[in-house]
Amino acid sequence: MSQDVHTRPAEPGARESIDGLDNPDGGASVSGADALNRLWRFFISMRTGLWLILALGLLSLAGTPPFLDQAPKGMSADPTAYTQWLATEHVKYGGWTSLLDKLGMFSVFESIWFKGIAVLLATSILACSVNRAPRLWKLAFHPRTRMGQTFFTHAPLRASLLVPADQAAAAESVREVLKSHHFRTVNDPEDDGVNLYADRFRWGPFGTVMAHLSFVMIIVGVYLTQSPMSFKDQNFVAPVGDRVAVGHGTGLVIEAKSFEDTYYDSGSPKDYVSVLALYKNGVLVKTQPVRVNHPLTSDGVSFYQSFFGMAARMKVTDASGKAIYEQGVPLSFTSDDGARSIGQFKLPANGLTVEVALPASGKTDPEIKAGQASVAVFKDGAKNAVGSEIADMGKSSTIDGLTYTFERTNKYTGLIVGRDRGANFIWLGSTLLVVGLLMVFFFPHRRIWVRIRTTAGGSEILCASTMKRDAAFKPQFNQLITDIQLAGTPSSTTQKAGQNDA
Amino acid sequence: MLDKTLAMQLSKYGLWCGLATVVLALICYTLVLVLAKTPRPEPAMAQAGGHSGGGVATDERTPPVAPAQAGGLAQYGTYFTWLSLVFVTGCLFFLTVGTGHGPFTNMYEFSVSFAWGILVAYVYFERRYHVRTIGLLILPITAAFMIYAMYLGASSNPLMPALENPPLLITHIAVAVLAYGAFAVSFAAAVLYLVQPEGGRPGLPKPALLDEMGYRAVIIGFPLLTLTVALGALWADKAWGSYWTWDPKETASLITWLIYGAYLHARVARGWVGRRAAWLLVIGFASVLFTFFGNLFFSGSLHSYAK
Repeated sequence: MSQDVHTRPAEPGARESIDGLDNPDGGASVSGADALNRLWRFFISMRTGLWLILALGLLSLAGTPPFLDQAPKGMSADPTAYTQWLATEHVKYGGWTSLLDKLGMFSVFESIWFKGIAVLLATSILACSVNRAPRLWKLAFHPRTRMGQTFFTHAPLRASLLVPADQAAAAESVREVLKSHHFRTVNDPEDDGVNLYADRFRWGPFGTVMAHLSFVMIIVGVYLTQSPMSFKDQNFVAPVGDRVAVGHGTGLVIEAKSFEDTYYDSGSPKDYVSVLALYKNGVLVKTQPVRVNHPLTSDGVSFYQSFFGMAARMKVTDASGKAIYEQGVPLSFTSDDGARSIGQFKLPANGLTVEVALPASGKTDPEIKAGQASVAVFKDGAKNAVGSEIADMGKSSTIDGLTYTFERTNKYTGLIVGRDRGANFIWLGSTLLVVGLLMVFFFPHRRIWVRIRTTAGGSEILCASTMKRDAAFKPQFNQLITDIQLAGTPSSTTQKAGQNDA
Repeated sequence: MLDKTLAMQLSKYGLWCGLATVVLALICYTLVLVLAKTPRPEPAMAQAGGHSGGGVATDERTPPVAPAQAGGLAQYGTYFTWLSLVFVTGCLFFLTVGTGHGPFTNMYEFSVSFAWGILVAYVYFERRYHVRTIGLLILPITAAFMIYAMYLGASSNPLMPALENPPLLITHIAVAVLAYGAFAVSFAAAVLYLVQPEGGRPGLPKPALLDEMGYRAVIIGFPLLTLTVALGALWADKAWGSYWTWDPKETASLITWLIYGAYLHARVARGWVGRRAAWLLVIGFASVLFTFFGNLFFSGSLHSYAK
């Protein structure tokens, strides 16, 4: 009995003829000079994908603070604020500021470059997946079950064994060994002998398709998140005790029953919790404490704890005594000198904007004493107030025919409210991405071809396999050959024991 | 129940012992390198059945500075790395007991965890490939993280509300440090690859083996990094109301992910194997460090509590 195992890689030319997948660029399968073909070849090229990934990485790098400052989110919608911000950046970037701005480099992730490359990458991924899937399907479900003699003399992993058993017995023993190693076997007899094809993890390579398509799914998710089907209100203010409509066609109304902020002895924040009651069409749907990491979700709309502050509860009545406004006014702004907390509300029917100011926490104001609020009323669009008063808490003042009452101060809770139609795509895409990666990396499709022919002394068994980027298969292949050898030798048990003893 | 102060003290001792044993391992490996006057003969080519386990056939195994079976100093070096892993694991355990939360909430805890991740990856790859030479690069990095942690000093500040999510705090960061550890191994393999001429250099692992090691490290690290980013997105969605906000830390993680994604594609693209792929691994680890230390200069980052 003899045995010859080869584990050296064959020459590059020989490899190409052995396994079509060794040419993942796929260029050879598509030819022709027409534009569509060229475009197709461009998108299915691994190099295209590679350069697009690197370009996306470089653009992302440009958008991180050590490299290029990025305009605060949403600022581009306010031209005045953006111009002011750009002026501050001029100090840093000098004459380059204008060019960088024109190129969209101060909003890299919203720029045409970033989005364009992401779309090109998604297209490339789709094209590669479409191009590759049929071949993967064929390899998994309609594999080539026999190979020519050349394959067995050039394959990167190959072995030849001589066993005393006849052809049928040798084939059976090889099959048994392969099965014991969890390989599926396919019999493919020929006139002059037996061919066996065996494989394991044939579904593994589909992980590549899964991982790539999941990336596309994530990009679709991002698109849906940014589409009008979704919304995000980053500054939703709910004064405690007031009902505030969510809007965006949801029919939802939120009421903050309470808000509490607690702190550790060191002064660092411990917990922020708002008890929220959610109403739909006037009917209570849910009441839930909402804290950081524990949002309230209903009807696909989520409410996240984000910020908080003080509000001045104001009541406005018209000449007939009818209340036209009765709500907490969030004191969201601070005066330039930091002495006052300021809030404002609108009376649209009257064309008025009302500004309410209280002394900021821990500050004293010569004009506004504790328990007082400054109330100033502006005609919409006018710079000067039509009237203003320092109002005592609980007392009423009349300005321009309307009566304003500063009822009390209370807290408000600041929420992020949103509906994200893309999030589920992100979670599904992420899951498929991880599963796909695990499949492709840890369950590589392993294939072995066996050729058994009768010889003078018994049977010759030729085994061979490709080792495409799967070096871990080599020792397993070697072990498999050893087991085939031992199984094909009548005194194998004794031999093995003898080897171990030695 | 263990007293918290005592637990913090034990954690500190664990870190000191971890550092000491890493330094001892490094001394052992360095001495082996200095004393090795002639390279060991090449092992015989693999024969069927003559190989048991491992991710690469023996014919590609090169004479490393000290093969596993060599015994002596090199073996002591290995034992010291195991001991170091035990000590640092103990350090993290007592840190968890002392602080009452997973040891992943500030730069001190991150640094110790990073060192732990690197040690885990090193011990695994050393056992799998029997190549200690990468330890000469990896162990100084591990020691540097430990020393940096000591410089920062431990603190047992209570958690801020955004971090009050124990399952995600533990999984998001634990998975990240394991990924980073694997990338440290790939980095060391890539550097050793790049310092050699094409045919290899006597006394160093063969380029083909280093290429394989680097790849194996990335195929472990990349899914873990993917999971880290996905878990981070899940957490951000819970805590901040958006799964992605282009926070600098998120962006840096994405860049790292893209670089290793490029590397995996480069391995199968013609003309990108070998040195170019190795350079991508070096750049990838630079990106890992950029992501890790980014908190120090990402003003306004949502991750800024991690300073």
